[in-house]
Amino acid sequence: MKQMTKALFGAAAMVALMAGPALAQEPLKLEVFHWWTSGGEAAAVQEFAKEFNAAGGQWVDTAIGGSGSTARPIGINRIIGGDPPGAMQFNTGTQIDELAAQGLLRNLDDVAAKEGWKEALPPAFYEAIVRDGHVMAAPVNNHGQNWLWYNKALLEKNGIAEPTTWDEFFAAADKLKAAGVIPVAVGGQPWQLNLMFNSILLGEGGKDLYMKVYKDLDPAAVTSPEFKKVAETFGKLRDYSDPGNANRDWNVATGMVISGKAGFQFMGDWAKGEFVLANQVAGKDFGCILGPGEKNFVMGGDVFIFPKLKDEQGTKAQDLLATVFMSKDAQVKFNAKKGSVPVRLDVDNSKLDACAQIGVEVLKDPAKQIPATDILASQDIVQSLQDVVGEYWATPTMTADEFVGKWNDTVAQAK
Amino acid sequence: MKTRRRMNVATYVALFPAFIVVVFAYLGTMLWTVQISFTESKLLPTFAFAGTRQYERLFATSRWSISLENMVIFGIGLIAVCLVLGFLLAAALDQKIRFENTFRTIFLYPYAMSFIVTGLAWQWILNPTLGLQQYVRNLGWTDFQFDWIIRNDRAIYVVIIAGVWQASGLIMALMLSGLRGIDQELWKAAKIDGIPTWRVYVNIIIPMLRPTIITSVVLLSLAVVRVYDLVLALTGGGPGISTDVPAKFILDYLFGRANIGLATAASSILLVIVLVIITPWLYYEYFRPKRERR
Amino acid sequence: MATATMTAGSTAPEPSGPRPKRLTADRVGLYVFLVIAAAFFLLPMYVMIVTSLKPMSEIRLGNIFSLPEAWTIEPWLQAWNSACTGLNCGGIKVGFWNSIRILVPSVIISIFVGALTGYALSLWRARGSNLLFAVLLLGAFLPYQVFIYPLVRIYSSVGIYGTMAGIVVTHTIFGLPLMTLLFRNYYASLPIELFKAARVDGGGFWAIFFRLMLPMSTPIIIVAVILQVTGIWNDFLFGVVFAGRENLPMTVQLNNIVNSTQGEKLYNVNMAATILTALVPLVVYFVSGRWFVRGIAAGAVKG
Repeated sequence: MKQMTKALFGAAAMVALMAGPALAQEPLKLEVFHWWTSGGEAAAVQEFAKEFNAAGGQWVDTAIGGSGSTARPIGINRIIGGDPPGAMQFNTGTQIDELAAQGLLRNLDDVAAKEGWKEALPPAFYEAIVRDGHVMAAPVNNHGQNWLWYNKALLEKNGIAEPTTWDEFFAAADKLKAAGVIPVAVGGQPWQLNLMFNSILLGEGGKDLYMKVYKDLDPAAVTSPEFKKVAETFGKLRDYSDPGNANRDWNVATGMVISGKAGFQFMGDWAKGEFVLANQVAGKDFGCILGPGEKNFVMGGDVFIFPKLKDEQGTKAQDLLATVFMSKDAQVKFNAKKGSVPVRLDVDNSKLDACAQIGVEVLKDPAKQIPATDILASQDIVQSLQDVVGEYWATPTMTADEFVGKWNDTVAQAK
Repeated sequence: MKTRRRMNVATYVALFPAFIVVVFAYLGTMLWTVQISFTESKLLPTFAFAGTRQYERLFATSRWSISLENMVIFGIGLIAVCLVLGFLLAAALDQKIRFENTFRTIFLYPYAMSFIVTGLAWQWILNPTLGLQQYVRNLGWTDFQFDWIIRNDRAIYVVIIAGVWQASGLIMALMLSGLRGIDQELWKAAKIDGIPTWRVYVNIIIPMLRPTIITSVVLLSLAVVRVYDLVLALTGGGPGISTDVPAKFILDYLFGRANIGLATAASSILLVIVLVIITPWLYYEYFRPKRERR
Repeated sequence: MATATMTAGSTAPEPSGPRPKRLTADRVGLYVFLVIAAAFFLLPMYVMIVTSLKPMSEIRLGNIFSLPEAWTIEPWLQAWNSACTGLNCGGIKVGFWNSIRILVPSVIISIFVGALTGYALSLWRARGSNLLFAVLLLGAFLPYQVFIYPLVRIYSSVGIYGTMAGIVVTHTIFGLPLMTLLFRNYYASLPIELFKAARVDGGGFWAIFFRLMLPMSTPIIIVAVILQVTGIWNDFLFGVVFAGRENLPMTVQLNNIVNSTQGEKLYNVNMAATILTALVPLVVYFVSGRWFVRGIAAGAVKG
């Protein structure tokens, strides 16, 4: 620990030297703008703040809760209004395109080169922070989005082994249904449904189909029989959820798994926070599967951008913070609390929980590092497609063909 | 006869703040909105001209037409029920009842609460597996059905129920302040003439409350056009997109989806719709050559 | 028709409905109606209160109507004092005084400007005043959020972006259409004779406003106060965009506690925080009752 701090001090000093002759006697003050407000999230952010302050910075916290769509416009308006925060959170992906193109952001090439970001990051994540050959953001975490959570005791009680294929999954779901348990706890909000859909798309349709559909926005891939099959599997899940799923928070759905009302839930790794809050332990009380079907890891996450500042001290503070964000020590501490896995692939992961360990293992194979939809397509496309998935889910009379048609129309309009 | 009201410097001084606000904030924003709606703007406003592309997309999007339809259903339902309920509550409170202050506060409190969380309470109450339906079934009526919130064709009516819950107290307050202005003598006179109470209300009181009713309708219409929190917390626009409303559509594209062009196009259409609806009323109410004040 | 509303008000210090007859069937029916209505209004509040008094383990079971098995006030303390809203774990109390500091000037100024504008529009003539009113009303129908982009630019060019002045001006701007409408309709319904008499006595624009009209406006001011206190107190968006880091209102803390997409959710704390935040407008509603009873103030014929 002590050595780590020393190393950080060293890094800070070097950054200071690089940036100019002035020595950092005063702490380097920087306002950090993010939307991590819940208790668990705040505890994670605290780790970054501690590291930053220990390295000679002074973290000034501005948190605006809600999904990023509440906080982002506020921060963007501050950037445009000439009162930018020193660092601001975005989701990893296309959200930063325009700010970078308009020249509102600092490029972090020097820090990235010095700290070896390119070598340390999964290639898809590195690409996601580079615009026109320059590093424009510092990634902080890697959230797996395609997890399937389950209640271990409940499965054992009903003699069900962890399903590894979709057939096994549906067999397990049938058993649960027969036992009077809701097989899948679904939160019927479009973004949640879309995560579930993507899990199936990857698990059953495979990586290539997923990339063609989201990255290439290829209409032919969407009209393929494989995609249609995915849509049908997704539709089939309606029979395995309860009628109360409409607009249910994911937390409530997780609560159903925790209390044994439901067996499974498709959700990102942040669901762990709910289990932990209920004093449950990963791998012991609840289980986690990447899949079923083809095992991939859908990588989403958050980055911080650094708006151009007028004062030199602020700029130095930015360099320091970017260094801290990507430092091995801070990465491990932050992500252990956040429930995500470190963005760096070259860190000691032994402190992570059982589920995160599974994730880290899968991530070792570059072929299984799947970029989340946010990275592949614009928010406009991604969220408009969520509407389509939500509508399909809520309208059992809609056929898979109609769904496919709507999908392609939506992409064509939003492109 | 019409009083000759002199043009007065003081009048212009008094109207100056409003003038500044109208020109810079309102007119400015409206013009900006219309201008941006003809551009390619995505996350940031830009001025790259895009012709009517945003409008073409808007009208090809089924979500937009559904949200307009919902606005009409919600609007008619909310305004009608709130006016009737608000008036009945006010009339009831105006009968020298006990605990008037308590009742009034009970009817008014929903207006004070942020709907993000009260909406969640409603969502639970209306949820068929969690709320009322299950509760009544547990009491023995196993056929009881109240699952509108999960039905595509009914969910919008549930939004009306929650809207009434939230807004009718305010209408009650407005109506009550109107009723309190009515003379006791009027009741005495009516009594002497032997007119039944309900007829006094219908034939005399309600016409006298006309300005109050107009204010109420405008207030409610504003709530209707801007309805957002209610839908977000209660149904999230769902099931599917069946309870979407224009304000939610606009906000989704303005913020979450980073498509300012489309969002401003939708706002512009909304403005045109409002203009078409309120112009005749405005004209009737304020612009036509004034008749003699009675 | 409109005049009657006013002249009538002169001697109505009490509720003005028909005289109550002792416990007739009508009276019973009346109370039954009120009680049923109250039950409808209170149902969500009941759910919120019992939820706020339960530990999370009970809430997860989903029995929303049942009373807590293990009562706890911990969520309330947490909501007020220690819930995390980012790195700051001070609950919603952090922004309380900021909210008050925003509320008081915003309510006063927005109502004053609205009353003045309504007065000038209804009783005096100015070129283009109808057009002014029409644009104001039309603008009120635009979603608030659309205004943010242009206003941020205007404010930063004037130098009030991110200041207390900025937020007060913002509330005045967005209060103006409704306030103007309220006062305009109200003043238009006053007997014109009052105004004429005051003119004959030589009253000018300001004298009539301050000495005659404002004192007669109590009931409509009450409605205006209810509207503005509620709207401004509950405002999140403008506060967070325009008030600046130092002046963030309480709703920002509320939002941070309640709204979180990926964070765990403590429903009991959320419910408690929501009720606590609403206390200020609730007190205003309750206290305003006195003036409701007085009704259209006795001063109607003083002029």
